[in-house]
Amino acid sequence: MNKLITLFLIVGLTGCSLLMPKKAEAVTNINGNVESRCTVNTDTTGYYGNPNAYTLTTLPASAGQVPIVRVDTSLANAYKAQISYPTSFSSSPSLGDTVVWTGAVAVAQASSTDMSGYQAASTTADGGAMRIYELVHAGATWFSVSSVATYGGGQQKAFPGGSYSAVVTAECIAQ
Amino acid sequence: MYRPVVLWLLLCGSVAAHDMTPTYPKWKMSFIPSARMTTMQVFNKRADVQWYQIGVFDKDWNQLPFVTRYKILRVKYLSRVKFDVYISSEYSDEAEYICSTSKLRGNDDFKPIVESKICSRFK
Repeated sequence: MNKLITLFLIVGLTGCSLLMPKKAEAVTNINGNVESRCTVNTDTTGYYGNPNAYTLTTLPASAGQVPIVRVDTSLANAYKAQISYPTSFSSSPSLGDTVVWTGAVAVAQASSTDMSGYQAASTTADGGAMRIYELVHAGATWFSVSSVATYGGGQQKAFPGGSYSAVVTAECIAQ
Repeated sequence: MYRPVVLWLLLCGSVAAHDMTPTYPKWKMSFIPSARMTTMQVFNKRADVQWYQIGVFDKDWNQLPFVTRYKILRVKYLSRVKFDVYISSEYSDEAEYICSTSKLRGNDDFKPIVESKICSRFK
C-alpha cells in the first residue's frame, strides 16, 4: 500500500513539475543591429543680412546668420562629407547684372579631438565652392558655411528689391 | 509675449536630419529575370523637407537608368520609408552610388536653405 502511495506521489510531483512555468526558459531576446550610417543635420538655419544695397551676407556683424550643418557618422572611414557654399540664387528677382559669390566652409566644432585635423586635411573642388572632408573618425562634426553675394560685378550696383534664396549643399558620400 | 520666445526655441532647438541606409547595399536577383534589385531606407527628421529624389550613378557620377516606385519619394517628418530600386542587369555592374537628395521648397525670405544628399555605395 505504501509503495502504491509513493508511486502516486512520484507520478503526481513529476506531472506538476512538467506543468509549472519554466522561468529559466522564459528568455526574451533584445536584438540590435549596428550598421554604418551617415546623418546630415541642419543645426542652424542661416539667413542673409543686407548691410548695404549691393551685398547679401551671412556674417553676423551684418545681421546675417551663418548656417551650421552637422554630419554624424557611426563608423570611421566609411564616408566623406562634401559641403558647398552657394554660387547662385535658387530664387530671386530678375537680375540683369553679375553676382559675385564668395564663401567659406570650415569645421566649427567636432565631437572628438581626433578630428582636429579635418580642416587642414580637407580639399576643395568646384572652383573652391565645395570642400571635401574625409571622415576618418566616427562621431559628429559641425561645419559652418558662410556666403557673400555682391551685385554688379565689382560696380557696386544695388540688388533689385525682392526675396532672395540660395542653397547650401551638404553631401555624405560612402567611400 | 511668449510667442516669439516659443518660436525662437522651436527654430533653434529643432534638429533637422536625413539619413539613408544601408551604406553598402548589394544588388540581388529580382522577379524580373533581366533586372536586379536592392532595398533602401530613408529616414526624414527634417521638418522643412518631405520629398527626396533618388538617383543611381556610375563611378564618374553619370546618371544610370533605374526603376523605383517613385523617383521622388514622399517621406513625412519623423518617418522612415523603404523602397526597392530595380536596375537592368546590363548596368548593375556599373552602378557605384545610390543617392537620396532632399528637394527644397522655395521660401520668401532671405534664408539660404540646406540641401542634404546622402549616397550609399555598391562595393
